[in-house]
Order: sequence, then structure tokens, then C-alpha cells
Amino acid sequence: MGKRQKHSLKQRLLQSLGLFVAILLSIKLLFALPGLTQQPVTLTFLIGASEVPTWKELIKQFEAKNSDIRINLIEGPNATNLLEDLYTSAFLLGGSPYDLVYMDIVWVPKFAAAGWLMELSQLFPKEEQAKFLRGDLEGGRYRGGLYRVPVHTDAGMLYYRKDLLEQAGFKPPDTFAELMQISQALQKQGVVRRGFLWQGRQYEGTSAMFVEILKGYGGFWINPDTLEVGLDRPEAIQAVQFLVNTIRDGVSAPGVVTYQEEETRRIFQSGEAVFLRNWPYVWYLANKEDSPVRGKVGLKPMVHAPGQSSAACQGGWGWGIAKTTKHPEQAWRAVQFFSSSDAQRQFTLMAGGLPTRRELFKDPQLVQKYSFLPTMLEVLDKAVLRPPIAQYDQASDILQRYLTAAFTSQLTPERAMKAAADETRRLLGTKG
Amino acid sequence: MKIDAIRQREQLTGWLLVIPAFLVLLLIYAYPIARSFWLSVFTQNLGTQLKPVFSGFHNYARMAFDGRFWETMMHTAEFSIASVVLELLLGLGIALVLNQSFRGRGVVRTITILPWALPTAVMGVAWAWIFNDRYGVINDLLARLGLIRSEINWLGEPMLAMLAIIAADIWKTTPFISILLLAGLQSIPADLYEAHAIDGANPWQSFRQITLPLLMPQVLIAVLFRFAQAFGIFDLIAVMTGGGPAGSTETVSIYIYATVMRYLDFGYGAALVVVTFLLLVLAVALASFFLSKLRAQASGAE
Repeated sequence: MGKRQKHSLKQRLLQSLGLFVAILLSIKLLFALPGLTQQPVTLTFLIGASEVPTWKELIKQFEAKNSDIRINLIEGPNATNLLEDLYTSAFLLGGSPYDLVYMDIVWVPKFAAAGWLMELSQLFPKEEQAKFLRGDLEGGRYRGGLYRVPVHTDAGMLYYRKDLLEQAGFKPPDTFAELMQISQALQKQGVVRRGFLWQGRQYEGTSAMFVEILKGYGGFWINPDTLEVGLDRPEAIQAVQFLVNTIRDGVSAPGVVTYQEEETRRIFQSGEAVFLRNWPYVWYLANKEDSPVRGKVGLKPMVHAPGQSSAACQGGWGWGIAKTTKHPEQAWRAVQFFSSSDAQRQFTLMAGGLPTRRELFKDPQLVQKYSFLPTMLEVLDKAVLRPPIAQYDQASDILQRYLTAAFTSQLTPERAMKAAADETRRLLGTKG
Repeated sequence: MKIDAIRQREQLTGWLLVIPAFLVLLLIYAYPIARSFWLSVFTQNLGTQLKPVFSGFHNYARMAFDGRFWETMMHTAEFSIASVVLELLLGLGIALVLNQSFRGRGVVRTITILPWALPTAVMGVAWAWIFNDRYGVINDLLARLGLIRSEINWLGEPMLAMLAIIAADIWKTTPFISILLLAGLQSIPADLYEAHAIDGANPWQSFRQITLPLLMPQVLIAVLFRFAQAFGIFDLIAVMTGGGPAGSTETVSIYIYATVMRYLDFGYGAALVVVTFLLLVLAVALASFFLSKLRAQASGAE
């Protein structure tokens, strides 16, 4: 009896050991299985909610062509800064869940400097690069490396009321002085309330707008190679003086110092002003059926000083790849697909927004739907970057503070720009 | 002897029961503050590739000469004091009205609390439009009343922008104070007023000698709550002016947010947090000290 019991105990022990090993093996197998059966890899990224429907369509096509890749799209807020915060915190916490990074152009230097992005120039051949708009491509560089493939472009320009200029016998202006003259003439005739609307609130849009005026006077903000600061040079002071004068002379509403893009767009669209500095999206809205200025709006590159040339502040979105991704090869295939000619064409047809490949601006199908594309190409060829430096946000905040101080007559343009330049030099660690 | 032992055991149980709450408090309050102190003696920004490098009190020295920080501190103080004082006065008035019995009081009370229930960002957008120079309701009303000839650029002038923000904040948070004070008013027994009236006191005397002293605890709570909250104001300003024009409405929390989240300057951001925290503690301590003194005086006068 005792012996039998002992025997069964041994048996049971063996049995449970066998079970244990079996469980262990099957767990191991479970982990190894994906490798054997080619389980698709998942690429994750975050995108503003308003763009999601369009991206879903493109993702469907991509997944159909690439059965080994699944895309996990995460909906984020629409505001650019909130999206940036989400990406930033994900990277800061380490082990970012994102493989791809959908980036605004001004994030590139910071994200690259922080070491969050993969360098792409090995994957992205020169002849392929040449097919993109120059400004958009350059915006993806930081200290010689390339970190972003552009998919949508954006640039600032001058909208004008074709009908009003024709009636009064004016040609669209080329220079700052002409813009002022035409505005004042039409205001005197009582045709419009305001001449020129621009964005003067203390926010990133003001820096973007100022880059255009500054370049139009032949000035510069920060030279990214030498870190030289040009804000207190005569050209920069002239640029500020011009904007201050538009308010002083009543050409611009005093409210411009509180306006962002939408406020200026609404006032322009209601027919109250001749000129508007804004981004391409205005074109779609101003020509909607219920718009009072439908079909009466023209656009051209921003005005400039005599002997200088126009400038358009470069904006836009593109794809980067997170350095932490486990699937760089698949991520690059997705970037290639999303930035392809075909995907960009579809995106523009579905949701508006401008492509980044030069050929698409002459694409018959697109031009038929959006007649302004060829003119847009002219604007985009004048694109100017905001300084691609790692501390761009700080530099931009300094500029915004002193610009609005000048706009609201807290400081004269000279003093405001002197202070802005000094503070920027301190930030960059360069001496005047 | 036996009673002593029982008491001891009870005390021990008491401590044991308190420990979980104490640990939670430690974890969610003490740890972040201690961590900020720790971070603030490092330099960790884009210049160091986001790696922490010990730098002693460098960040604090930098802060001493950071004009922007002290400016934002001033704006925050202006905003907090102005809004809390005005909200307290208005809130007290509203609470006194709501404490009276009249027809439809329930409805009125509900309506009064509405502004407080709205998300700040949403009402911030609305207030920005209300103060819009061209399409704003305020300018329209003033023009109709014949008070102004040209539009006032509310959010475009440093002084006016601050006033506009304070006005929006008052609209939003006065209800909070009035509800708190209303609760206090309702806890004052009616017989006190009766007895006082029989002694020949008029309503003003009753208010000064009964209502105010007995309401002081609620006033103290309301002021402390609101002051600490106003000191951290962020969303309303971010939506209405973004800190502009010329940085005139930028508050400490907006500056800290920019430093940490946008400039990725963590060490310096932590130092800003530490100094702001200490100043806030100091302000709250001073405020509660004076208020409790006031309260002691008021009850002593009785």
C-alpha cells in the first residue's frame, strides 16, 4: 500500500513537471509564432481629427497593397500646438508608441535636435528629392540631415479684390507703397472700410507673416549657419515701420493686433477690405457658394520693396520616422506611399490642401478642379523658411512679443527691434 | 491601566487607518514637488541633448535676471488679486439675493451657476468674440448707447486686454463664490437675526454684526480656493489673447508651459515651478493669516 502510494506520488510529480514544460513550450511558441506565420507589423501615428477621413481612405489603399503592414491611426486634436504637445510628451516619456511622425514644418529642427527622428537621406535619393518643391524639402533639413518628407505645402500670399481694383482702374500692387496707395484711394472713395488685413496677434502666425514682410524689404531674421541676427538692421526696422504705418494710417484695422487667420479671413470675406495676407485655405472658403466675394478674389505673391522680391512664408506638413520605431523599413514604405504622386493627388481632390510635388501643380485633373494651382506655384517658388534652429520656438516668442509691442505703440520700431535682436542674441549665445 | 491600554490600541488603529490616505497624499503631492526641486538643480534642455547635467543653482541665478519671469509674475498677481476681490464682492451680493425667498428662486439659482459649469476654453472663445473690436457685442452696445465714437480695441491694448480677461474670469467664477457663500448664509440660524432685531438693530447692523462674522469661514475658504486657482490661470488667457499683446497678459503658468513643453527646457522649467510654488505658498499663508486675524477681530467685536 505504502509503496503504491509512493509510486503514484512520483508519477504525479512527473506528470505535473511534464505539464509545466508543456505550458512553457507553448508560451514560447506563442511568442515565436508571429515570426513563423508573417504576422503583419503595425505602424502607429497620430493625426489631427479633421484630416482623419481622408487619411483613412489612403490607408485602406495602402493596406490593400501591403498585406504585411497594418496602420494604427490615432485621432488627435486639430490644433497644431496640441498635436505637437502629444507627440512631444510621447517622445519625452521614452518608448514612443509612434512609428511615423506627421509633422508641421517648424517642428523639424527641435525634434531632430532632440534626437527623436530618423535621418532619411540614405533612403531618399537625390533625384527623387528634386521632384518636390524646394522650400518644402529644405524645411525638412536640420544641420545637413534630412528628417521629413513633405506631403502638404502651405505658404502665405496676398489676396486681393479683383473686381474693386478693376473698377477703379488699378493693377494688382507689386510694392508696399502701391498697396498703401490703392488702399487709401479705395478707402477715400468709400468703396471699402479697410485696405489691408494681416495677423498681428501675439502668436506663431505673426512671425510667419513678418517673415514675408521682412524678406520683402531684403532683411533676414536669423542666419541658421552663422546664427547672425538681423532683426535690428535697417531693413527689419523698415518692415516693422510699414506694418505700424498701416495701422496708423487706418489702412489696417486697429484690431489686426488681435487677429489670427480666421478673423482676418472673415472680415475680408464679408467684403470689408481690399487686401488680405493669408494662407491657401482662404481660396476655398472665399469661393464657396455663400461667400459674398465669390469669384471676385485674386491672389499673388506678397508685395515687396522696389528692387527686392516677394516672399512666402513656408508652411506645410510632412512625414518623419521615429528613431525608436522597430519597423523602419515598413515605415519608409508607408512614407513613400503617402508622399507619392497618386496619394497626393487624391488627397488634394478629396480634401483640398496643396501637394508638394511640382508636377501636380500642372496636373490637368487637379487644375480643372482648382484653377489657382499654377498661380500658387509662383507663390511657392518664393518660399522662405522660418529659421531652422533648435530654439526656434523661443526665438519666435521673442519676436512676437516685441512685434506686438511695436504694433500697439508700446515701443518704437527701432527700440522694439533692438530689444528683440539683443534678446535673440542672448538666446543663441552670440554677441552683437 | 486597562483604559490606558485600550486607548493606546485605539490610537494605533487610528494611525493604521490614516496611513493609506497619508501615503496617497505623499505620492500625489509631495513626490511631484520634491521631484521639481530635484530637477531644478539640473540643466536639461536641447543644448544638453535633453540629458540632465548637474548645474547647482544656475537655473535660479538665471531666473533672477529673467525679466519675462518677473513680468509674468506681476501679471499673475494683478490678475489674481483683481479677480478674487471683485468676485468676492459680487459673489457676496449674489449670495445675499439668492438667500432671500422669492418666487422662482430655484430657477434663478440654477441659472446663476451655469457660467461656472461651462468649459473655460469654450467661454474663452465666446468672450474673445464679445470683445472683438469689429464684431464684438461690447463695442456695439457702447456705440448704441452713444458712449464711444470709434471702436475700442479691447484685446489689442495691454491694459484693456487685462481688464477684458478679468471681466471674463469674473463672469465665470463668481457663481462658484456665491454658491459657497450661500451655503454659509444658510447655516446662520434665523433666531440670531430675530433676537438682534428685537434689540433694535437695523438690517445693516445685522449684516455687519451677524452675517459677516459668521460668514468668515466660508469667505476664507472661497478666497484661498480662488486665489490658488486664479494664480494658475492658463486656459482662459491662452484662448483669449495667447499672452499678448506684447506679453502683457502672459501669466506664470503660460510661461512655464512654454518653457517646458515648447522650449523643452526642463531644468529651468522646474526651477520656475519651484519658485512659483514657494511664492504661492507664501501668498496663501499671508492671506489666511490676515483673514483669520480679521475673523478674530470681528468675533471679538461682538
